[in-house]
Parts: sequence; structure tokens; C-alpha cells
Amino acid sequence: MIKYVVNLSDYVIPSLGILLKTFGEISSTYAHDVFSTLCVAIIGQIFSIMLAFIVGILGRKTTWLGSLIKVAAYNIQAYPIVALAPIIFILLGDGFLSRLLIAAMICYFPLLLSVVGILAEPITEVEHFYQQTGRMRWQLEVKIRAFENLPKLTTVIAGSATLAMAGTIVAEFIAANAGIGYSIRIALYQSDLSKILVALFMIGITLSIYQGALEVAGRLVKNAWEQ
Amino acid sequence: MVIGVCSLFPLLIDRLTRLIPIAVALGITFFVSDPAVAKENITYRLKWLINMSTVGDIVAVHRGCFEEQGLTVTLKSGGPERDAIRDLELGHADFGVASGDQVIQAISKGSPVVVIAQLFQKNPLQWVYFKNKIRIDGLTDLKNKTIGVTFGKNDEIIMRTLLVKSGLSDRQVRLYSVRLDYTPFYRGVADLWPVYINTQGVEIGHRLTASGASIAFLDPESYGVFFVANSVVTSKRLLEEHPERVQRFIKGLIKGWTTAVEGTDSDRIVEDVRQYDRDTSRDLLFAQLDQTRALVKPDESFSIGRINVPAWEQTETIMLANQQIDRPVNVGAHLRIEFVE
Repeated sequence: MIKYVVNLSDYVIPSLGILLKTFGEISSTYAHDVFSTLCVAIIGQIFSIMLAFIVGILGRKTTWLGSLIKVAAYNIQAYPIVALAPIIFILLGDGFLSRLLIAAMICYFPLLLSVVGILAEPITEVEHFYQQTGRMRWQLEVKIRAFENLPKLTTVIAGSATLAMAGTIVAEFIAANAGIGYSIRIALYQSDLSKILVALFMIGITLSIYQGALEVAGRLVKNAWEQ
Repeated sequence: MVIGVCSLFPLLIDRLTRLIPIAVALGITFFVSDPAVAKENITYRLKWLINMSTVGDIVAVHRGCFEEQGLTVTLKSGGPERDAIRDLELGHADFGVASGDQVIQAISKGSPVVVIAQLFQKNPLQWVYFKNKIRIDGLTDLKNKTIGVTFGKNDEIIMRTLLVKSGLSDRQVRLYSVRLDYTPFYRGVADLWPVYINTQGVEIGHRLTASGASIAFLDPESYGVFFVANSVVTSKRLLEEHPERVQRFIKGLIKGWTTAVEGTDSDRIVEDVRQYDRDTSRDLLFAQLDQTRALVKPDESFSIGRINVPAWEQTETIMLANQQIDRPVNVGAHLRIEFVE
């Protein structure tokens, strides 16, 4: 609309015809790139979920260790990953490992803070019984708190998928040699906005499907657990 | 009472009449001498960050070359995410700097852009390599080498053109994706690394030479590839509606570049650039100035800013061959050679 009102050329805003043509030409290549990015994001997310739960379980108590973990997580997540990424690429090269590490770093810290917050909150009415009967173990405490907060955890994990994907794309954009972020960088060098728009569209679709799958998986886990 | 007031009128008129010449004189002084009123404001978007490659632009602003032409010019630095041609079309800039490939790409998509001067007569892009590790006497020596290119940028197109000229296929060399970190080159992962000869070439050359390394540069123009680099562009509309403003801008700009390239006061020129580029040492800036001068005026016969039409046509041909554009754009029709003699 703006394009036609202000009379801008296809160089500034590509027309619908050009977008469709570009989509036809590059969709298969970009689908492969998005898949590559998604794979890295999923592995990075799984890695950070595992780490967040391990550290979250350790940091759930209101001890000095718990406080230290929370403070450290708050501080470390304040570092801009855009500044750290080039250092990671210099040290590890521009392969799979660098992309994975950056993706995991971006989604790990917010995930950790949420997990610590959830696991540190006692479910008094349930835990009281086990404490009074002397059957409370740390594994049971974690299970109770996780089960009672399952919808929250599912939402946090689904939300962290966006962070993992964004982290991977940032990593690829800065220095990698594969993935959709790398393709966006090339399109930017070529001043080809239509390619960038196609890439964004495909990222959006893929991420929505992935997040939807995570939500469904969360519901399935909840049902199975309840049964 | 009425008579008293009426009798004051002649006196009042007399006083006002005496004040008229003073008011007129003040008015003239105000309109003529106040630069804020007389000067036209111009925004000039550069292609990249402000460094020695933009020395002429800086000198033109600092030495009042635009002021002499009745223009107040605001220099805006460029960067990877900034595009002067888009800025022109969106009305965010009046003039800009773009490379030949950017201009041709924009024209192919209907952008109403025109070229009014060409700053670099020689493209600064070259490839650095260690002389003690590899030897390049001709393009066929590129066989089996790992060559750094920035995929999507003009160095990729230039290298692919060199490879076509050499008769080598993509399989006979390894193209390595380049980023802003030179470590892969220092470590020997890549044999050749693209650099801008007047800025990065000087810095890297200085660092490597100081550490005892022996380096050389592969210059695409030595093999007949003339790919147009930084040029001054404006919109067709501005040119049609205000040709005299374009003329004045170019006059001021060329005076700035002439001062930077032919001027003898290199100390002052380097100081001007240092105000923007504080991270580069003075010695390196002097070396960069010498290299930049050689790119803008490689030989006495070149006039500063002249548009090299055959080079533009070759750039279009190369882009067409590399499928950077899907049809010829007749770039010659978008070059306005009349502004620079």
C-alpha cells in the first residue's frame, strides 16, 4: 500500500509479483536453510533445558548457592550475545559447535531464571504431608513442584524455542557459513529485500509449527502424568 | 487633545521615514550574511563508515567547499545495513555513495537513481596473500587455492569473473566464506583474503610486514576486470527539479576531493580524518592517504570524479553473466557525465 501511494520502486519495497517469483525460485533452498537452523536451535534448546533443570534444582533452595546461581544468571544474561558471538567464532571456528553454543546461551539464562523461580516455590498443601510423614526427598519435591507448575513450564519451554531460533539466526548472521541467518546476510549484501522477506516468512511458519508441537507435547506429558 | 495627537503624525512619519533605510540595511545584512537562511541543507549518505576512503568528502565539509556553493552538507556514515540508494528514494538523503553493482542492481528494480560522479577510478578491492607460501604469476595459479570471498558481495562476483577468465571451474578452487575476522587468513586456512587496498590492505600489510612476513596483492584490474566502486548518486527527481543544486554539490565535492588528492598539506588532511577514525594511528593514516590518492587519480590524465563509462558497461556485463541481474539495464543511460569535465 505504502509502496504504491509513495511510488517506491521494487528496490525499496518489492512488489507482490517479485515476492512470489522470489519465493518460487528460492523456497526450496531456504527451506533447507531453515531446517538446518531449526535443527541447531532444537539441539541447543534441549541442551539448555537440561542444564537449566540441573542448575535450577541446585538453585531452588534459599541457600547461598541458590542466591549465587540466581545472581550469576541475572548478570551473565545481561551480556550482549552480539558482542560475545565473534569471540566464540574466533575460538571455535564457524562450524556447527559455535552456532549451537550461541543458540544455547541465548535461551539458557531466561530459561534458568524461570525454572529456578518455579522450582523454588513450595506447594505447601501437598508437600506438608510428605514432610510430616518424613517421606520427603529432593526428587519428590522437584516432581511435585514440576507437576503442579506443568502449564507454566510448558509455556516457558515453548517460549524458549523462539529464543533458541533467534540465537541461532543471530549466530549465523554474524559469522556462520550455513543456515537461514547466513542466507539473510547474503541477501542483505545483495540489497535483495524480497529474499529477506521470504526468509522471514519461512522462519515464522517453521517457528509457529515448532512451538505448536511443543505445546501439544506439553499437554500429552500432562495427560500421561495425570493418568 | 485631537489637535495635539494630529500634530504628532508628521513627526512620527518623519521618524519612520528615517528608520526605513536602517531597516532595509539591517534586512539586507540579515538575509545576505546569515548562513542559516541563505544556505540549502543537504544530506549526503556515505557507503561505509567514515575513514580514509571518504577523505575527499571530509575535506569538502571541513574546508567549506560546500559552503562556498551555498550548501550546508550533513555527512552521514554508511554501513552494511544502510543503503544510500534507498535513502534517496525514501527522501532521507539528497546525495549518496554507492558501488557500481549496487547502482546496477537498483536500476534493474526500477529505482530512479542517476550517477553524477565516480570517486574511485580504480576499485580498491584486492586479495592479499603470503608470498613465501604461494606464488601467483597468472590467474591459473589460483588452481587448488582456498580463496576468501564474502558471498553476496562484489568480491564474490569479481573473483568468479577472474575464475572464468582463468578457465578454472568452481571445483578447481575452494571459495571460503569471509567475515570481518582475519584469523583464517593468518592461520593459513585461506590462501587469499579480500581487502580494500587503501584501508585494510595498509593495516594488514603493516602488521604482517612488521612481523617479518612477506605479502603481495592480487589486483583484478591487472587481469582486465574493471568493476566500478564508490560513485556519487542522486535521484532523477532532484536532478530534474534542481539541476543547479546538483551542479553546486558536485562542484563543492570535487573541490574537496581535489584538495585531498592534490593538496600538499597532508598533516591537516590526516587530522581531518582522525576526527572520525581515532583507532587508526597517524602513520597508518598517512599510508592510507597515499593509497587512496592513487585510487582516485591513478594517473595525471584522469580528472577527479570523471565517470568511466566502459568500466560501468563492463560491470553490467559481469553482473549479467553472474546472474546478479536478469536482463540488461543499459547503465549508460543512467550516467550523467556532464557534471565532471
